[in-house]
Amino acid sequence: MSDRTDPLDVVRAAQGRSGGASRPRTDWSASRGRLFLVLIAPSVLLLALLNAYPVAYAALQSVRNGTLITAGEFVGLANFAKVLQSPDFWHAVRFTAIFTISGVAGSWLIGMALALALQARIHFGGVFKVLLLLPWVVPIVVSSMAWNWLVATPDSPMPALARFLGFGTPLFLADPVLAAVTVCVFKIWCSFPFMMLMMSAALSAIDRSVYEASSLDGASARQQLFYITLPLTRRTTYISWILMTIFCINDFPTIYLLTAGGPIDATTSLIVLAYRLVFQNFQTGPGVAVALMMTAAMVVVSMVLFRQIRKSGATA
Amino acid sequence: MTAAGPSFDRATALRTAGVFVFTAIALLPIGATIMLSLRPRPGGEPALISLQNFRHVFETSLVLDWLGNSLMVSLFTVVAAIIVSAPAGYVISRGRHKVIEGYSLLLFIVQSLPIITAVIPLFILFARLGLADHLGALVIIYVAGSLSVATWMMAAYFDSIPAALEEAAWIDGCSVFGGFVRIVLRNSLPGVLSTAIFTFLLSWNDYLVAIVFLKSDDSFTLPIGLQSFFQQTSTDWGAVMAVSVITMMPPVILFALLNRYFSVGGIGGSLSSQ
Repeated sequence: MSDRTDPLDVVRAAQGRSGGASRPRTDWSASRGRLFLVLIAPSVLLLALLNAYPVAYAALQSVRNGTLITAGEFVGLANFAKVLQSPDFWHAVRFTAIFTISGVAGSWLIGMALALALQARIHFGGVFKVLLLLPWVVPIVVSSMAWNWLVATPDSPMPALARFLGFGTPLFLADPVLAAVTVCVFKIWCSFPFMMLMMSAALSAIDRSVYEASSLDGASARQQLFYITLPLTRRTTYISWILMTIFCINDFPTIYLLTAGGPIDATTSLIVLAYRLVFQNFQTGPGVAVALMMTAAMVVVSMVLFRQIRKSGATA
Repeated sequence: MTAAGPSFDRATALRTAGVFVFTAIALLPIGATIMLSLRPRPGGEPALISLQNFRHVFETSLVLDWLGNSLMVSLFTVVAAIIVSAPAGYVISRGRHKVIEGYSLLLFIVQSLPIITAVIPLFILFARLGLADHLGALVIIYVAGSLSVATWMMAAYFDSIPAALEEAAWIDGCSVFGGFVRIVLRNSLPGVLSTAIFTFLLSWNDYLVAIVFLKSDDSFTLPIGLQSFFQQTSTDWGAVMAVSVITMMPPVILFALLNRYFSVGGIGGSLSSQ
């Protein structure tokens, strides 16, 4: 075994370990069972206290008209009705979908392309690999400052460059459509290194002799990509899409730090909407209702995906 | 792949050029941050590069306090996360029981929950306990937030250690717990390091929890400090970028030194909030 954790091992671990035929097994026995209970107890306690309790509390809040300080009165499902009838909510649903789909697709395409380039022969591959991780390692707050400097005002470098090239002066964060595009590009920029890591690991697991054999049979590079590389990395691709979807839907700082959800509400995703409702409009009930509906959706989606990952793990 | 000769070298050169151009463009924001922070201040002594911005922010802002707060929060988070997730990872790695598989599913679900759902009720709870503006509150939430991924990472590493090692130790009279600590944990330094890097990144980079919980400027962590500093002095880009560089240095240095131990990517960190 090498001296580091193989990413795929972690993926396998995340799948509830159904795929690992070679993993060490230990029989379940009563005495060890008791120790196992003790060992896992802190984890379970923390999970209950910091996840189960808040979700239960949020459920109570969502049927009351309270604020952060007062409990308020029971209002039934009024908060949910109010949220579901507001155009802001549906606007946020739409932007969340756009943000997520473009984030997943964009970061995967770039990450996969880079992983392929780094896998093939290339000069200074090791240097590039480390440098290309930087957008992901640097805190979002820092990169959002840099992006602000690059695009925020008409005199920033990017608008100035556009003006110089004769494209007028685009207002990257003030125009609703451009702001949405900028936020999505920023998300892709932050996320492609993660995809590169995942896909690099999957590519390095492919046996080189498969390529050699197919070359002898006259396969073109294009055929190798579509008939060998993509099918053999399908599982990692699928898992990376799932993870990135979760990251995108739950992402707050990438959007909030660049545009705070604006202009007006052009880049308000569901999580930004929930934050604004609770902490800026002091409408705890509706805000918590938004968060709870997201939670419910994520629970259902993740249970389905968990099953699917495990199923694909059994056949891979 | 099998081709050789001049055409092969040209392909390598082309690929290198393409990746170089992409890297140069992708690193533009980070390069700009560093360059701006090293420019002399307006009215300062002219120079090609200077540390005037850094001296200025050390003198006029609480950046050293924020740095200390961030280091403290991250350090406690890393230690606590390992203490909680290593034993849990061991159970998931070695146990074969329906309940444990169920727990695995639970961790996956928790991982996908929007952190804002937890943040709002926890803020109300911690405010009642008088812990709202307290760094300890952040540590607790970060440990919980990194729990799933940290546990998977530890379990994945423990899987690579043959159970025969512990079994031999048990036969020699070692307790089950002793076998875990002295045999398994002792041989898992790379796994522990990987988990530590992940939790460090998560707690160092967090914005959402910190912005909700921290109210007084001397209890800010660096991300919140940087943002408040930006809001107060948004035209003083040199100073803002100096604080930015201070904020990004620790994770970048950590990665530069330890990246060979880290191959997991942000499974989870994102797995958690991003």
